[in-house]
Amino acid sequence: MAGSDQVNLIESKTVVPLNTWVLISNFKLAYNLLRRPDGTFNRHLAEFLDRKVPANANPVNGVFSFDVIMDRQTNLLSRVYRPAYAGGDPPSFTDLQKPVDGEVVPVIVFFHGGSFVHSSANSAIYDTLCRRLVGLCGSVVVSVNYRRAPENRYPCAYDDGWTALNWVNSRSWLQSKKDSKVHIFLAGDSSGGNIAHNVAVRAVESGIDVLGNILLNPMFGGTERTESETRLDGKYFVTVRDRDWYWRAFLPEGEEREHPACSPFGPRSKSLEGLSFPKSLVVVAGLDLIQDWQLKYAEGLKSAGQEVKLVYLEQATIGFYLLPNNNHFHTVMEEIAAFVNAE
Amino acid sequence: MKREHSHRETSSVKVDSSSMTANKEEAGGFDELLVVLGYKVRSSDMADVAHKLEQLEMVLDDGISHLSDDTVHYNPSDLSGWVDSLLFDLNPTCDQVKPDQDSEYELSAIPGSAAYPPGKRTRTGSDSPTTTTTTRSMVVLDSQETGVRLVHALLACAEAVQQNNLKLADVLVKHVGLLASSQAGAMRKVATYFAEGLARRIYRIYPHDDVGLSSFSDTLQIHFYESCPYLKFAHFTANQAILESFATAEKVHVIDLGLNQGLQWPALIQALALRPGGPPDFRLTGIGSSLTGQSIQEVGWKLGQLANAVGVNFEFKSIVLNSLSDLKPEMLEIRTGSESIAVNSVFELHRLLAHPGSIDNILFTIKSIKPDIITVVEQEADHNGSVFLDRFTESLHYYSSLFDSLEGPPSQDRVMSELYLGRQILNLVACEGEDRVERHETLVQWRNRFSMGGFKPVNIGSYAYKQASMLLALYAGADGYKVEEHEGCLLLGWQTRPLIATSAWRLNRVG
Repeated sequence: MAGSDQVNLIESKTVVPLNTWVLISNFKLAYNLLRRPDGTFNRHLAEFLDRKVPANANPVNGVFSFDVIMDRQTNLLSRVYRPAYAGGDPPSFTDLQKPVDGEVVPVIVFFHGGSFVHSSANSAIYDTLCRRLVGLCGSVVVSVNYRRAPENRYPCAYDDGWTALNWVNSRSWLQSKKDSKVHIFLAGDSSGGNIAHNVAVRAVESGIDVLGNILLNPMFGGTERTESETRLDGKYFVTVRDRDWYWRAFLPEGEEREHPACSPFGPRSKSLEGLSFPKSLVVVAGLDLIQDWQLKYAEGLKSAGQEVKLVYLEQATIGFYLLPNNNHFHTVMEEIAAFVNAE
Repeated sequence: MKREHSHRETSSVKVDSSSMTANKEEAGGFDELLVVLGYKVRSSDMADVAHKLEQLEMVLDDGISHLSDDTVHYNPSDLSGWVDSLLFDLNPTCDQVKPDQDSEYELSAIPGSAAYPPGKRTRTGSDSPTTTTTTRSMVVLDSQETGVRLVHALLACAEAVQQNNLKLADVLVKHVGLLASSQAGAMRKVATYFAEGLARRIYRIYPHDDVGLSSFSDTLQIHFYESCPYLKFAHFTANQAILESFATAEKVHVIDLGLNQGLQWPALIQALALRPGGPPDFRLTGIGSSLTGQSIQEVGWKLGQLANAVGVNFEFKSIVLNSLSDLKPEMLEIRTGSESIAVNSVFELHRLLAHPGSIDNILFTIKSIKPDIITVVEQEADHNGSVFLDRFTESLHYYSSLFDSLEGPPSQDRVMSELYLGRQILNLVACEGEDRVERHETLVQWRNRFSMGGFKPVNIGSYAYKQASMLLALYAGADGYKVEEHEGCLLLGWQTRPLIATSAWRLNRVG
């Protein structure tokens, strides 16, 4: 086995810049330390190791942020990112929730990744990504600190996403001037993409307008082992075994991967046909072992008559969007900007 | 599979060289992109760190979680150090682990029971580049209309005071009073204290630190200790660092720069009593102000009783001073060479910033007694800026978070805690010059001060972090309290706002 492991390691090292490789390998190692075979999770160590950053009302590179408590009962916190005001002065407390200034101002409700278990809204990797989205799309970004597994299983993350969506939708200061409505997009990477999908389904059922879904390497799965899972198992930072562990941690106890949360176009899911589901931008990394599930998701949307743009990046691995040191990063950022501003 | 090999090489080389040439001076040679994400890896070390990660992968498989239960981790931002210590844990005979170049001293692995963290390789931190940009961390706790208007009025009043427009300030402070009365909860209390501070400043009725009130102050602190976890966290984390530093020493000496009611020490005495191999001789020097002179002796006596009860040899000495600045090394009667020394300061050092030169005096004294560890707990806030309005704004948000965390069913402890904090607010807002002693500064600022003063950080690790988190869950129960690790220091905050920081230091013996 040692021989083929060697090949695996060398392979992943040739497709990403060295600092990216170090970053993602570090996560991989840390996460291996945290997951226990019995399905429990070393949360204390996870929080100790996670690099977090505070919100900052002083603009940095044209973006400032502050945290809000959306729901005291569940202690649901989110981080709001806004473009700095003209003049560049740091906003005072009363300016934080000043009405957005524009005919059309997109508001992106963002769900961070971490396979439902890792990271937080104030994790450095996600704080950085959200800041980028602000400038890129000329939008406000609201990053939701949803409850995580295994302590909080399905449907907690979706419930928190739903709470956040309602909160955003009801803020008068987030309304665009054009129609006095909040122009909402849902976005997320990995488990965040999964959450975005599920919140969008709930939105459609309840009549809240979502203008678009942005799914970056969304986390989906299913019972069988797909070709990509077999081919890419263990080769690019991710293993089938760890994917299984996360689904067991998130799904209700005893549930299998055919559960609709894991498999939205599987045997147990509801059809989206005829629903005015938001248009979707689905980004799939060609070296992500769950790509078959992601492609199946995009196909499923199409078959249900929904608008979907698929961006397939052949040489991209997971986490390519965390550092701006590769072409995939720039390609995807442009796609996102176009998608959000095409309203 | 198509390999964009040459493309990758170019891009990675480009990243390395650009971060090396363009950013070496700014970021101290650290990879700029990783710094943003919280990791400090020198570009020149990147390949080495990658290699070690590969080595770790080869040695480990999926079932390595049992490791994390035994291993103590330190300073995850220092990826190189972290990876090194993991390799060391797995293979102690492995000589590929490079020694910490910054320190001549390495605490060797101490075989021990679960009661004590295996004091291994307490890594001293490498020099961190100083950040000049300040962070204003705001949590909107109350987005109600009245809350916003109240804050707005307070800030407007503070601005008027800043501009010495006392007529306007007078009008506004009354307006604040009106608004506050229609507010509920934490915001009302905070606003009331800040308004009182402003009023005192406007009418020049400054609060005094009366003689009779000092013991009252001690009493308030006890209630503060009981009602919320901040002091418990401070004591607990400092004690963990002290215990780790004392390791197997036979004689230990703790110098507490502010003994107060000695609430920190029963737990340490008990932990020492339980040490495998038996407790050391424990000597405590408690320092207090001349206003509390009598009660220091009493505190010492009570601690002695406890020590006797658990079988720890105990010696106590009290030192009474007007100011910590007056502390001279001779007063401490150090028994050089035979005792392990810890200097402990919980919320004491910032007071010295009110008098120029005082902080340098105490740091000099500390240095001259050559302690093995110095534990420092301070408020994590920028309340000592030169502009009144900035201080006012910062502290308004700080105490809003603090008061918010105290909200709950009414109790005497809570009421007294609010009074305890209220007095800090009044001092901060209404006083100036040497009277203004609540001069809180941030961890970054303290780090600078200690570095310049000839001290090196001692990293507080994951064991202390975990125990602190568990302690919080026990006492506080609320989800709102959060412990964070930041480059070897631990911070306790409410929601995402850090409120107090514990750090540990020792002498920089190099040069």
